[in-house]
Amino acid sequence: MSSKNKLLALLSVLAFLLVLFAFIRMLFFTPVEQTMGLVQKVFYFHMSAAWVGMLAFLAAAVFGLLYLSRKDLKWDTLTAASVEVGLLFTVICIISGMIWARPIWNTWWTWDPRLTTVTIMAFTYIAFILLRRGVDNPTRRARFSAVYAVIGFISVPLTFFSARLLRTIHPVVFGGGEADMNLNAQMLTTLFISLGAFTVLYAVLLLHRARLMAQQEELNQKLAADDGSYDWGE
Amino acid sequence: MKAWLHSVRVLVWKDLLQEWRSRDILTSMLAFAVLSLFIFNYALELSPLNRAEIAPGIVWVVMVFAGTLGLNRSFTAEQDQGCFEGLIMAVPDLSAIYFAKLLTNLLMMVFLAVLVIPIYSVLYNQSLFNWAFFGVLALGAWGYSAAGTLIASMTVQTRMRDLLLPVLLFPLLLPVNMAVVKSCGVLLGSVAGQDINSWLNLLLVYDVIVTMLSIMVFEYVIKE
Amino acid sequence: MNLQARQISKSYGAQRVLDKLDLSIAEGEVVCLLGPNGAGKTTLIRTLSGLQKPDSGELYWAAQSESFDALPLRRSIGLILHQPFLYEHLTAFENLRFYSLLYETGLSETDLRKMLSRVGLGNARPIPVRGYSRGMKQRLTIARALLCDPQILLFDEPYTGLDQQGCGMLNQLVQEESALNKLVLMTTHELSFIRQIATRFDVLHRGKIAASFSNDGISLDALQEQYNAVVSAGKSPRKEQA
Repeated sequence: MSSKNKLLALLSVLAFLLVLFAFIRMLFFTPVEQTMGLVQKVFYFHMSAAWVGMLAFLAAAVFGLLYLSRKDLKWDTLTAASVEVGLLFTVICIISGMIWARPIWNTWWTWDPRLTTVTIMAFTYIAFILLRRGVDNPTRRARFSAVYAVIGFISVPLTFFSARLLRTIHPVVFGGGEADMNLNAQMLTTLFISLGAFTVLYAVLLLHRARLMAQQEELNQKLAADDGSYDWGE
Repeated sequence: MKAWLHSVRVLVWKDLLQEWRSRDILTSMLAFAVLSLFIFNYALELSPLNRAEIAPGIVWVVMVFAGTLGLNRSFTAEQDQGCFEGLIMAVPDLSAIYFAKLLTNLLMMVFLAVLVIPIYSVLYNQSLFNWAFFGVLALGAWGYSAAGTLIASMTVQTRMRDLLLPVLLFPLLLPVNMAVVKSCGVLLGSVAGQDINSWLNLLLVYDVIVTMLSIMVFEYVIKE
Repeated sequence: MNLQARQISKSYGAQRVLDKLDLSIAEGEVVCLLGPNGAGKTTLIRTLSGLQKPDSGELYWAAQSESFDALPLRRSIGLILHQPFLYEHLTAFENLRFYSLLYETGLSETDLRKMLSRVGLGNARPIPVRGYSRGMKQRLTIARALLCDPQILLFDEPYTGLDQQGCGMLNQLVQEESALNKLVLMTTHELSFIRQIATRFDVLHRGKIAASFSNDGISLDALQEQYNAVVSAGKSPRKEQA
């Protein structure tokens, strides 16, 4: 194994251990919240997933800008990988949010500004993936992905402010108000551990996915350019 | 700057002339919009009281959907006949191409509004004649066209073209949709007087940011 | 003035299309670029026009490495590619007028009509270009390319769709431009027509200009022979063309 792969393997193990640690701590060593009960524990991973979702989107936009200025396709691979991983975590965030909301507020969905923004973010991610599928030319695909990642990212704060403005005008009639939680020091520590673990997990998944994508693309190129010069080892 | 304005003017005139000759886009947008109004009537079963509140929402939604027909077609000539490259060789700056298309799409939306609003008023027996309302619609149309033009310039170069435009565009439009519908509700008097300045500020900020961003990234979309 | 391309390289993914290519065209020359399909002729023309940036290498215009993004330089190139650059719903005259205004040529209506006559469309019906045949569209494309009085003419397969008369018309136009000390580079497979006006033949093969021979009254057969010799030399046994 090359040194880069060894490092990645090490990091993967580290990520796994960190998440396991956070999980155990969350389950057994964190007090149960007063008002909401046991289901509140979903919050730690829910919040971490949301954090990673946002981070992944920011990273995708940054990688996109780096591609546009440097024209190196490795940045494009990172953009695409970041979006895929980000989508995964965003969906986890939404589903865990629904699991949390149902017993607390007796509803699967609320038009809470954060939930609205995160869902729109998920739709933007999905649109990004569909866009990539619709372009065969690698450099064009890279340019379009970068542009959409940047404009998609800029629209997130705008969406958030709109949704929040909507909320101040229309007070929430049914449940789903601000998360009314009392977090003590222990819970905050668990939260931070959770956030850290998920961030490392994001980095690991990003690198794995990027590596796989790069290899896939290399294979596609060789297949397309097959003029008999490549030794398939037959 | 003068050269830039000149090229924008020439490009817009060319697009309008093309559309006037074929009348493809405008007629289908109009037909789509009017039919949608009909569908809304049966789908929503509105009492006169409801109608007043929902009017801005219906008008804007109809414009958003009908607008995609126009957006989808706005770049097909350039794409299919290779005209992009002819334009790239001639214009002082690529942003002129973007801006000209933005204006053309905006004019199509305005045209649509000019026809849809009176038809709505007739069908639903409710006057929507209000200059502030028109102003907000125009601001919304600007934001819509700014984002839509950039996205359309990308999707026209993909395999899926028309199918992809709404998927890519609609998530970006949420702020515009909210701002237009909410502030128009107040302006038409159907919602109790609230301060709409925040909505208008948001809309203006969106319009400016998206336009400027699009101008900056446009060259990466149309040039190899 | 002259146009020089030095060490131009361009790859599409793993495929190297242009490989440290050198090319130079001087005033008054009419260079014919020959090469098999997929050799990279179109890529080279697009690179020379500034539409595409090469991966490496430089383009020189009049001994200065001027950026091809500069507007006066871009506007001094008359470009014909595979697609006609025409607007289907406008008439021939309106298409020319559009490009004339866009290029800020200052040409009058009469001048535009003269240009249409030059390419044999003087008596064409004022219908939208949609109704034109391929040949008529090609004639209009040629008019469009010459509209801005370009100093450099880059024509990719300009004889496509033209009948005998049209090919003759194009040859005459190119000779007229060349006499005004313009630079001309054309790609084509129509050896019989290009032979009449080319000053030089360059063969693009395996990403380089593999051979260059001047046109001193060479016969069509001899030209074909020389071309075949260059293209089949150095072919690997696996890659036999059908």
